[in-house]
Amino acid sequence: MEADVAKMVTSAAVMSVGAFTSATGEAWIAKTALDGMARNPEVADKLFTNMIVAMALDESTAIYCLVIALIILFVV
Amino acid sequence: MAVQVSLAPDFIFNVGPVMVSNSMIATFATTVLIFLAALYVRQGAGVIPTRVQTLFEVFVDFFMDQLERVTGSEKQARKVFPVFFTVFFFLLFANQFGLIPLLGIFVVGEEGVPLFRTPTTEYSLPIAMALTVLVFTHVLAFSLTPLGHLGNYIKVGPIIKALKARSLNDLAMGFVDFFLGLLDIIGELAKIISLSTRLFGNIVAGEVIIAIISSLFFFTQFVVPLPFLLLSTASSFVQAIVLPFLGMLFMGNILSALPSKKT
Repeated sequence: MEADVAKMVTSAAVMSVGAFTSATGEAWIAKTALDGMARNPEVADKLFTNMIVAMALDESTAIYCLVIALIILFVV
Repeated sequence: MAVQVSLAPDFIFNVGPVMVSNSMIATFATTVLIFLAALYVRQGAGVIPTRVQTLFEVFVDFFMDQLERVTGSEKQARKVFPVFFTVFFFLLFANQFGLIPLLGIFVVGEEGVPLFRTPTTEYSLPIAMALTVLVFTHVLAFSLTPLGHLGNYIKVGPIIKALKARSLNDLAMGFVDFFLGLLDIIGELAKIISLSTRLFGNIVAGEVIIAIISSLFFFTQFVVPLPFLLLSTASSFVQAIVLPFLGMLFMGNILSALPSKKT
């Protein structure tokens, strides 16, 4: 396999695994937060802020994968 | 069509040994923007809040609430508030720098190097932000109890205690604690990388996605990037909150681990 093709395949694999895991985690965060909000609407505002922060944290794993894919593609 | 993605910024000119890149110029522009925004908010601010003032008071209240929860008292929270809020406020403006229209027309040189580039897409700036927050935390903890703070990382206390008590079991646990303390030092270094990469990656991802979408075909330049623009604006805003917020949480962990904290 040539080096360019290997780079493309690797970065695509990195991105797909990263996006899949992080999306699953985010969906779970949203599900539990929505469950909590439906059960107890008074704390909805507080839960929403915390949900956004937790989602940003979860998203960062996908972002790490993106940075690694970018490094594989453009820097190495 | 090929998309030009460069992770490194372009250098415009030198001031002595310092290479001035286009993102540094954008950082200065951001500072000017913050200054203007401060003047604008200050104008007509009073006990009866204006509309813009209300918006900024929401931010201040949010950060004060979190800091009070972390540090335990309002007095202590007021002391450390400026550091975290400055980082937040700077990132709030710096992350949205790409939204300013018609910035792409400023180019220098024959190759057409853009004069402005979103500040947080140069890796130095997120690293500087993360270092500011974390080093501040460690200096604060060190100034409160110097030996206690060092003792959380180089844990010789349990070993000495076990030697005094002549207990072999405690000595083994003491060595385990010692190596866990060394691992904590690596953990602190990893925090710098994780905080800065999170910010850098989010902003770069937004810009790269918009660049790729708008360079796909001729007709995708106009309306198609809008949802992605909206998404990247939202995530830039959230990331501006997340970095100082995580810094606060780390500070809370470190301060609460100090022995016999006197605050």
